[in-house]
Amino acid sequence: MKLSKVSRVAGREFASTAMTKGFIIGALVMPAAIGALMPLIILLTMKAQPPADTGTVYILDRSADVSPTIENRLSPENVEARWKERFGNVKEIAQNAIPLGEDQKKQIGDRIDQASDSIRYPELRVIPAGPDTDIEELKAEMQEQVAAYGKATGDLESILAIVDIDADASQKVNEEEGYGGFQVFLRPKLNEETIGEIKDGVRWSIRERRYVNAGINRDQVGEIHEISERASQEITEEGEKKASSAITTFIIPMASMILLLIASMTGGQYLLTTTVEEKSNRVVEVILSACSPMELMTGKILGQMFVGLSLLVVYSWLGIFALIFMERFDLIEWSTIVLIFVFFILAYFMFASLMAAIGSAVNEMREAQSLMTPVILLMMVPYFFFMPVIRAPNSMLSTVTSFIPPISPFIMIMRVASNDPPPVWQTGLVILVNAVAVVVFLWFAAKVFRVGLLMFGKPPNLRTLIKWVRMA
Amino acid sequence: MSQAVSMQGVRKTFGSKVAVEGIDLSIPEGAIYGFIGPNGAGKTTTIRMIMSILFPDRGELSVLGKKSAIESKDRIGYLPEERGIYKKMKVGAFLMHMGRLKGLDRSGLKPRVMEWLDRVDLADVHKKKCEELSKGMQQKVQFIASVLHDPDLIILDEPFSGLDPVNMRLLRNLIDDENKRGKTVIFSTHVMHQAEQNCDHVVMIHQGKKVLDDTLDDIRKRFDPRALHVDPIGGVGRSHDVSVVPGVAHVTPIDGSLEVVLDEGIDPQQAMKSLLDAMPMNRVEIKRPTLEDVFIEIVTSGKRGEDAEQLRAELLADNQDAEEVES
Repeated sequence: MKLSKVSRVAGREFASTAMTKGFIIGALVMPAAIGALMPLIILLTMKAQPPADTGTVYILDRSADVSPTIENRLSPENVEARWKERFGNVKEIAQNAIPLGEDQKKQIGDRIDQASDSIRYPELRVIPAGPDTDIEELKAEMQEQVAAYGKATGDLESILAIVDIDADASQKVNEEEGYGGFQVFLRPKLNEETIGEIKDGVRWSIRERRYVNAGINRDQVGEIHEISERASQEITEEGEKKASSAITTFIIPMASMILLLIASMTGGQYLLTTTVEEKSNRVVEVILSACSPMELMTGKILGQMFVGLSLLVVYSWLGIFALIFMERFDLIEWSTIVLIFVFFILAYFMFASLMAAIGSAVNEMREAQSLMTPVILLMMVPYFFFMPVIRAPNSMLSTVTSFIPPISPFIMIMRVASNDPPPVWQTGLVILVNAVAVVVFLWFAAKVFRVGLLMFGKPPNLRTLIKWVRMA
Repeated sequence: MSQAVSMQGVRKTFGSKVAVEGIDLSIPEGAIYGFIGPNGAGKTTTIRMIMSILFPDRGELSVLGKKSAIESKDRIGYLPEERGIYKKMKVGAFLMHMGRLKGLDRSGLKPRVMEWLDRVDLADVHKKKCEELSKGMQQKVQFIASVLHDPDLIILDEPFSGLDPVNMRLLRNLIDDENKRGKTVIFSTHVMHQAEQNCDHVVMIHQGKKVLDDTLDDIRKRFDPRALHVDPIGGVGRSHDVSVVPGVAHVTPIDGSLEVVLDEGIDPQQAMKSLLDAMPMNRVEIKRPTLEDVFIEIVTSGKRGEDAEQLRAELLADNQDAEEVES
């Protein structure tokens, strides 16, 4: 095998795949652009909320006890105050949901403040109806309005809801039985927020009256319910450490695995396409007059490896950049990053071998589908194992599956990136096992490749492939 | 003189089908050889074995003094029958790629590519994508790809198929030029007259076996039909007068003239003279055997009359189809 020919083939393979507009835009520019556009998209969706409803809520209070509380609760000033407060909570949650530096927290806070200024909330006029009001009359009026205008019209006069409160809703009539409840009649297609506001208001008010009527101090109950908890700590060999959050237990292992999958799959997929193309173009015999099948296959596999590798480099840098931006680069270990690249090489070689074998065996892309099905299924396996492996990175299942090529690299990277990484000897052994598997896969591919390239006609099935392996 | 290619008892089977059976071959350096035979005769399989793309099941093979072409790939130029190009690649880039795959240095490669493109009247296409070229133009580009690295042995599988007469002549001249520079050329064709125009030596393959391996002159001598074509003034109606001329065995009218088969041992020159003495003629000429005739004679020999006639008709029809496709 001549290195100059291998590198020549690899060079063409890489250039014809990666140096095209389609690849650069599709694989590199798009994800970067989406990453840059994300904040803008979030901002736009925040702005694009539906207009708030305006209208009347009738309270048919048969208990003659709750309606003043509801009136107060749903008064415009109180509704506004609660919405502002809710935004304050959102701000706090957003700032603390993922680990961030102080600068980023402030930025996110400012952005949410800006958004809260433009927020619109439901504007409600609450009208208590006496206990002797006929609810059917109110319903009939609402139906008339709906027939005339359809949806809520933004007019304070329009009836949005009728609340029918039971007589025993806030005060038991009979000690043995429980409290009564309420029912709401709604105009169709109200915003979820409006409905929530009304129902929550009624519920809150009834509860409030129950406390009073039962002689319980409401504030005291609130205090009793409130239990404060300081951030959990982990006691490790090095001492106390902040307990791992969702980002370390889920996001980093998952991202590492998907990154690995995308990079090796992309390279493999391109290898399949170019091999089938060379074969259906009949250019393959011209090439074979200049280099041997092995030089061609090796060159092609290496060329596409660099395609996958460039994807991996770009994407992993995006990830690292995001972590640096969040000032939480300590969440990922350098060894994990190195292992992603090591496992990529191993996983890629196995899948590339399969793709080269399939590509050389068929005459056109369409015929590749049936042979591809088992490979695609194989690629799905790491997804199925994601949850069990993440939950228990060192369970029997996780350990065993991380030793079975070709899914082994994907499982192992999840274990390595998890917050309970396997011992180093296991990582070493997995690399060794996969290295042996790579040799076997390449050997198989080489046999099929040599025979398949010049075979035209009926697409082979698995049995013919095995026959070719014996033949070569 | 040393041998460019030699084969001894080479046999190749695909499953139960025998593609090539016991071929012995010896092609001296500097020769120009034609492999002829109908479609599916085994020409391409033989060539692929010379190229070490396929490996013989049995037999010995050597190419340019090496056991296999793999060791001397850079000294061989090959235009396969199943030829293709990278459709999306630019013509210039494709040829540069092929040149470098064949071991040429980057330096001096571009002028060489341009010079070759110029030689085949494609000087202005090197920036075009290969898929934008016509089929004939693509074929010329492919031919360049096979000779760009100045190989000592040039193997062309059906090089003329799909070309118009002008380009066919261009290609023929290019092949001749290479041969005059001392390069060994092997080409295959199923259209016999192409071999007659180009080769000095012909190998005929039929049903996987070599049925003929000789120089054109020798073949013509050996298969001399001892026949004349005559056009007597007065037309074919005078066939009886012709048939009574001494030395004439029998006369058959063909396409408005007469084919005269002579008796054994008669000198054609003498017979021509007797015929001219017997009556005035528009034309008298010695019938030269075509490779087609030779081929048909070889294939049909040993078969009974009726079978032979049918086979002859089929083969002729085959060849005519092929020629029509080409023109």
